Amino acid sequence: MNERATADSLGGRGALTAILLIAFAISLTGVGWGDGLINAGGVRAVGQILAAAIQPQLDLDVLSIGARSTWTTLAYAWAGMTVALAIGLPLGIIGSGTVVRSPWTRRWNISSARFALAVFRSIHELVWAWLFVAALGLSPMAGVLALGLPYGGILGRIYAELLQDVPEAPLRALRSTGASEWRVFWFGRLPMALPDMLSYTFYRLECGIRSAAILSFVGLGGLGHNIQISLQDIDYSRMWTFIYFLIALVLVVDLWSSLVRRRVAIEQG
Amino acid sequence: MAAQYGRGEPVARGGATAPIAPARRIGFLAASAVIAFVMALAAWATIIGDDNFPSRNVFSLDSVARAADFAGGMVGAESSASPAFYNPDEWAEKARLAGETLAMSVAAAGLAALGALALFMFGARNVMMGSLAPYRSPFWTAPFFLVRGLFTVSRAVPELVWAMILVFVFTQGTLPGVIALAIHNGGILGKLGSEIVEGLDTRPMRALRSTGAGRMQVLLYGVLPEALPKFITYLFYRWEVIIRTTIVVGFVAAGGLGTEFRLAMSHFKFTEVTLILFWYLVLVLFVDIVSGQLRRLGN
Repeated sequence: MNERATADSLGGRGALTAILLIAFAISLTGVGWGDGLINAGGVRAVGQILAAAIQPQLDLDVLSIGARSTWTTLAYAWAGMTVALAIGLPLGIIGSGTVVRSPWTRRWNISSARFALAVFRSIHELVWAWLFVAALGLSPMAGVLALGLPYGGILGRIYAELLQDVPEAPLRALRSTGASEWRVFWFGRLPMALPDMLSYTFYRLECGIRSAAILSFVGLGGLGHNIQISLQDIDYSRMWTFIYFLIALVLVVDLWSSLVRRRVAIEQG
Repeated sequence: MAAQYGRGEPVARGGATAPIAPARRIGFLAASAVIAFVMALAAWATIIGDDNFPSRNVFSLDSVARAADFAGGMVGAESSASPAFYNPDEWAEKARLAGETLAMSVAAAGLAALGALALFMFGARNVMMGSLAPYRSPFWTAPFFLVRGLFTVSRAVPELVWAMILVFVFTQGTLPGVIALAIHNGGILGKLGSEIVEGLDTRPMRALRSTGAGRMQVLLYGVLPEALPKFITYLFYRWEVIIRTTIVVGFVAAGGLGTEFRLAMSHFKFTEVTLILFWYLVLVLFVDIVSGQLRRLGN
């Protein structure tokens, strides 16, 4: 039986490999290759861009713009994450269907919350941003909401799954003491799922920084905005300065988040 | 446990970590919580205090009316022209663009996978300078830092920014967008691949070694087959992200639904926006389902 399973999985893998290669080959024919790949000034542009990478503009005013827009990007990401938490936490808890006992209510809770979360996260944050800017005007609030909605959708889904995956035995013990479903959730389920939830939230924060940087594309400030302006001026050295700011910001948040996650993981044992 | 939660972004857990004293650990976590809270307050202060923040507008009847106008525009209530979604030609045209978007996402995922596959072994610490290293020399360890640096830069820069840069290089068409997606996701996949290798159980490799296999053979027949299935799983998760992002790359580079979305928005053809969003959601759903099925086929 074991051999059979192995053979099946090998067959599955072979089929999968074939499907992947064929799909990739077809997709390449779908890409408009045009007349030549590189445009007339392309090779020169690559040279200029690479040359500029090792000599970013380090004037004081450029650096101060960089520092300020780094904070703007960070602020968008952080405020967006608070909105995401405000959306993801309640919907995730409802979507896990763990706080109600009646099967019908539970099913209804799970499917409606999960559907809302799926819609939020299906649409990319930049598309949300554009829609919000069109609807609300060019306000920072549009950017914060645009980040918060899809991130809330992702957080909610993960929270729901983590809350469902908690081992049942300790919960049964709690229930046997006569605890209500809400108490079981509050004193059993949530504390057990919390470390993983925290880990994931921090991980998402890293992604939020990158997303916040490109929100500027719809006209909001931040690092992306300055990168865009530098490109419009064809000033590659200035562009690299801002890109280095972005990389540094991502790295710092990355490092912090991985330190936190490692400690949370130990906490959990 | 949480290794595969989320769309292709596994939560990287500590892996092999040195023990940390409990008190210091809790101290660090508490300090982090305080920092996170203070940052949240400061962030909101910045957002609200922003000069052009029309706080009177966003939470006012005026902005409600504006949002209602926009929503009305999307369902075709605002304009005298016939809404795009009553026009079969528009449906067909957007479907074609959806197909193009799908092709772009597959090409980007494929290129990203090729790049990551070529490099991820060199980004694994244990292969380059740890227990699995076939050679011990600075010439073998140097690529580790090079490759990891490459992964870091390529994934720290968002796809959209790569696309903005690459339109200066490639000919007008879908290619800059595809390459931009491939660079960013190649960095992510490469890092994930390296971490897979770093997290592998080395006992089978040691067993292989004890049968007389050379160090290179261990890499080829021990490490690679163990790492590939997980890598493919990550690739599928990543594809689910890529399809959502392909439309965004289309904002700056040509091709697919993204470019059409930009045009429709700038020309205030909001009923077309509705149609594009519809196809976008269909694509996302389609890719989620196909990716789930293929992942199951692989396992």
